[in-house]
Amino acid sequence: MSQKLSSPPPTASPAAASEPVGRFPAQRRLSSEPPPELFPAILDAAFMVAGYGSFGLVWLDCELQATRSYGSLVEFIKLDAPVTDSVLALYGMETEILNLRAAPGRILELPAIGVAQPDGDTKRLNFSIFWQQSQDAFLVLIYRVASQTEIELELSRQIRARLMAEATVTAKSKELARANTDLESFAAIISHDLKGPMRHLRRLTQQLATETEAAGHHPLSLRLSEIETQSQRMSQMLSALLDYSSLGRKYEALAPVDTAALIESVAASLPKSGIAISISGSWPTIWTLAAPLDLVLRNLIDNAVKHHDREQGAIEVSCVEGVNALTISVSDDGPGISQKHHEAAFLPFRTLNADQNADSTGMGLAMVKKVVETAGGAIVLSSDPAEKRGTTFVVSWPTHMAV
Amino acid sequence: MITRKVMLLGEIGVGKSSLARRLVFDKFAFDYKPTIGVDVFRYEVPVRAGHAPMVLIVWDTDGNFGDAIFRHIYMKEAAAALIIGDLSRPPTLDSMVKLGAGFSGAFPGRHIGYIVNKTDLLPEPETRPLPAELTRPGISLIRTSAKTGDHVPEAFISAADCIARRGQ
Repeated sequence: MSQKLSSPPPTASPAAASEPVGRFPAQRRLSSEPPPELFPAILDAAFMVAGYGSFGLVWLDCELQATRSYGSLVEFIKLDAPVTDSVLALYGMETEILNLRAAPGRILELPAIGVAQPDGDTKRLNFSIFWQQSQDAFLVLIYRVASQTEIELELSRQIRARLMAEATVTAKSKELARANTDLESFAAIISHDLKGPMRHLRRLTQQLATETEAAGHHPLSLRLSEIETQSQRMSQMLSALLDYSSLGRKYEALAPVDTAALIESVAASLPKSGIAISISGSWPTIWTLAAPLDLVLRNLIDNAVKHHDREQGAIEVSCVEGVNALTISVSDDGPGISQKHHEAAFLPFRTLNADQNADSTGMGLAMVKKVVETAGGAIVLSSDPAEKRGTTFVVSWPTHMAV
Repeated sequence: MITRKVMLLGEIGVGKSSLARRLVFDKFAFDYKPTIGVDVFRYEVPVRAGHAPMVLIVWDTDGNFGDAIFRHIYMKEAAAALIIGDLSRPPTLDSMVKLGAGFSGAFPGRHIGYIVNKTDLLPEPETRPLPAELTRPGISLIRTSAKTGDHVPEAFISAADCIARRGQ
């Protein structure tokens, strides 16, 4: 390899280049002085290593002018000029360097400094500076940031890129959470404030219907009755919206909940109908939030009953206890939900029942999904009426809940 | 010519290197290359009537230093710090406040300029909320975009003027 050397090396101690850190020269650590016959070999090795671009040496006079240099890493050093002209990083450290004279053996170390090379490339170099008594000069040892570098730098880059991405995701998540809170507050305020005028409207409509009926205007009375029905429906929707928006803000303490007793109580509390409810599987006692689980079970079963299209039918509710969650399934033999509506079924105010007068606000499944996900669980809907009647909701409800 | 050392401080990825390269080379690299160690640049402040010529030695530091930078030899003789945050990442703006407090504690009386970078990433960057500590009267704060070059030289020239005024 042909490397241009700036000047012949002075008679520097060969040990200088190999002493990595700390106090220098630490000769006590050497087992013995190198035998004289080894000096040519050591110098030859030093020449070779410097020639391969592993290190460079620069000598500075007491004015911190670069007077001599050696090695291939020193091509950017301007001789007979202040070293700060060549190594900007040394600007401001002049006093520190000059103080090395008073502390022989002390090394000033400046690691990992990027230095623009004459070829336009930037090398990252370590600088170690110490006072060389024998030469009455400061010696700057320049060596490359070690060859660990490429892999380590790449790893470092990847870790940093990941950290940055995580920071961005965290910031976005916070922003999203804040936006959701705002939206919920907005929904809560609106639904709460609209309920008052709506109650007033219904009362007036009822009065008007009564007076109209008494006056014998039967067709008009029927219209007013229709208005009352619709306003009652709107009141229900407002109540449901208020409930939905407050779901995430209701907290209670974890407590042992006997899920078997809970499901029995839910099934027993539903209005009697021709739809038979059967309960099977293993329903353990778990530490959880009772009210949300009650809401989920009640709504799913109620939903199955409400949307059944026949007088007689069956609903099966079963539970399997897993390591971290209960898998609860609620299956019915109703008309089913077309696959194209699976996603919409969980959206607020989406009722798949065409009858607007039906006793449904379209909030039941939306609330169930929100409660399940707030609890850290998940819900899946499966139904394909084209193949088979019926719908199954499978809820994964965590058995170890963090509040 | 007066030469003064200015440190660029700030969290990883706020654009310290991009600002330095935009300032010195008027270039912007779209691929992110974190600084491992330090890069040192020379910036000759444009000559203006009534201002002494000045060269800034700009130290672009590794964002991993954190508070440890104030105890590092790299900070020797620093005349000022430019503390940088990323407008699109609010936590980095909070870090600016901490770094500012750290620098003024370690180097009392030295100039601190705050740079809120990456204004190109957000609409109406002037209206984005900043930590109260950065908007107090007397605080030097400039919004920049290293990508477009907006206000980049101004941030450094302003720092040079403050250094000159303080006689540091």
